[in-house]
Amino acid sequence: MSTQTTGMVLDLKGLLCPMPVIKLAKAIKDIPVGEIIEAFATDPGVMADIPAWCRTTGNELVTLEKNDKQFRFVVRRVK
Amino acid sequence: MTTTKIDIALNLLNQQLNQPLTAALEVCARCGICAEACHYYVAEPKVEHIPAARAESLRKVYRSEHDLLSRLFPSWTGAERLTEEKLAEWADIAFNKCTLCYRCTINCPMGLDTPLLMTSLRAIATATGNAPEVLEMLADAAIEKGKDPEIYLGFYKESIKDMEVELQELTGNPDASIPLQKQGAKKLYVALAGAHTILPVAAIFETVGEDWTLSIFEAANYGIFLGDASRAKAIARRIVDEAKSLGVEEIVISECGHAYYVMRWVAPNWFGDEFTFRVRSIVEVLAEYVQDGKLKLDPSANSEPITYHDSCNLGRKGGILAEPRVVLQAVTNDFRELTPNREEAYCCGGGAGLVALPEAYDLRMMAGKPKADQVKRSGAQVVVAACENCRLQLGDLSGYYGLGIGVTALTDLVVKAMRLPGNQKTVEHIMTLETANSGEHDNAEVWGSTDLVSLPSTKGDRSEPKSNV
Repeated sequence: MSTQTTGMVLDLKGLLCPMPVIKLAKAIKDIPVGEIIEAFATDPGVMADIPAWCRTTGNELVTLEKNDKQFRFVVRRVK
Repeated sequence: MTTTKIDIALNLLNQQLNQPLTAALEVCARCGICAEACHYYVAEPKVEHIPAARAESLRKVYRSEHDLLSRLFPSWTGAERLTEEKLAEWADIAFNKCTLCYRCTINCPMGLDTPLLMTSLRAIATATGNAPEVLEMLADAAIEKGKDPEIYLGFYKESIKDMEVELQELTGNPDASIPLQKQGAKKLYVALAGAHTILPVAAIFETVGEDWTLSIFEAANYGIFLGDASRAKAIARRIVDEAKSLGVEEIVISECGHAYYVMRWVAPNWFGDEFTFRVRSIVEVLAEYVQDGKLKLDPSANSEPITYHDSCNLGRKGGILAEPRVVLQAVTNDFRELTPNREEAYCCGGGAGLVALPEAYDLRMMAGKPKADQVKRSGAQVVVAACENCRLQLGDLSGYYGLGIGVTALTDLVVKAMRLPGNQKTVEHIMTLETANSGEHDNAEVWGSTDLVSLPSTKGDRSEPKSNV
């Protein structure tokens, strides 16, 4: 469990890719640089899409994990 | 000397000026027949929604650059110089006011390729930093995945293992599997991200004993929506290289309109010599199975009145018109056509990337009205679309216009009609996923034209993507 300050929690469960990435990209603009977004999704596509999105945008992927059929990821806004 | 956006745009326009584009710019007779062909105009009869009127904005600049009379006396011909305001207008026209559906072209007496003009405007908008950020972001993320699949491959394999458990429950076969990176398989199936386009197809392949393997890449190609050949090629290249390295006989594309169109009709123009395999849509494969009697299907399993929406990329642009109907006749006893259909089908209003743009929601609900009216008139309770983009849009249209329809994929109906041991539970799971985005205002999809050019970068350090994974 993250001990950092979470700027926002996103519920992306039930959304199909690339919706989780689009929602994340929109949401991250609403938090200050340095803060994090914690998100929960059910589409396995996030396991590929989120790391790639972080690389292309320069944001930091803090955590990406799978719990049963749910995926949790934490992204820090870097710029 | 500083290069301005105007310079970039005009240079790019000149680079793109091949014979088809020049013809499209010069041949229009202004007859106006294209007006009634366009779903935007049918939904909202305004001059700005006439394809010829939209294209006129580009033609005015073309004349000012390439016609001597227009250069000397611009007011005589209505020629106009390009400005930054006009660049912004072009981006709006190309990305928001046209879904590149080609209905105007097939209804034009001259066969004028207005979507090619719109694709050219998309390319210019992308090169000058006016393209929708979401589409650029999705294209770049796809390219990144191609550069280094290791960043997700471990997770992906884990997901596939979980899906295999569901597949085994569905088929009742404890040995059912989803092969990944299988050398020498006959078919390379390229799905969309997520389980909903993998599991039903895996069940069908398992049942017929197909020799197949699943691609590690997703089929979507957001580069094509941008009119950006370098990005579109980089995304397609991943799949071409995978097919070559595995030695497959054919690539089978998931139920995704633009993904099929790119790989079947565009990519061969880029990598023609390397196509040692053929490309088909899963819809064509399903029709073949039905015609060859490889699938036992119970049409009573799908008892609701069902209609079919022809995706523009599969149907009008791709030529896949009979195949979905072969499948539908086998999986339901109550199939009813929309009117018009096939080549003359209306676009759903969400094509060419529009469904991915949150800001375009009101616009695509307006542009989708002819489709919503068609569906309502059909009396169908379920609309089938062999395109993810269309399904997302149809789900939104159902919510907006109160259609009360279910929206599903062809493969889901086939799986239901197969009456597999674990059918009920898994099909419900698939259908839930399928409609999960209905009512959302920001979904996603893609496509484009065969005449794309490489774009100069205007955004910092965007380097040419690596071709090979």
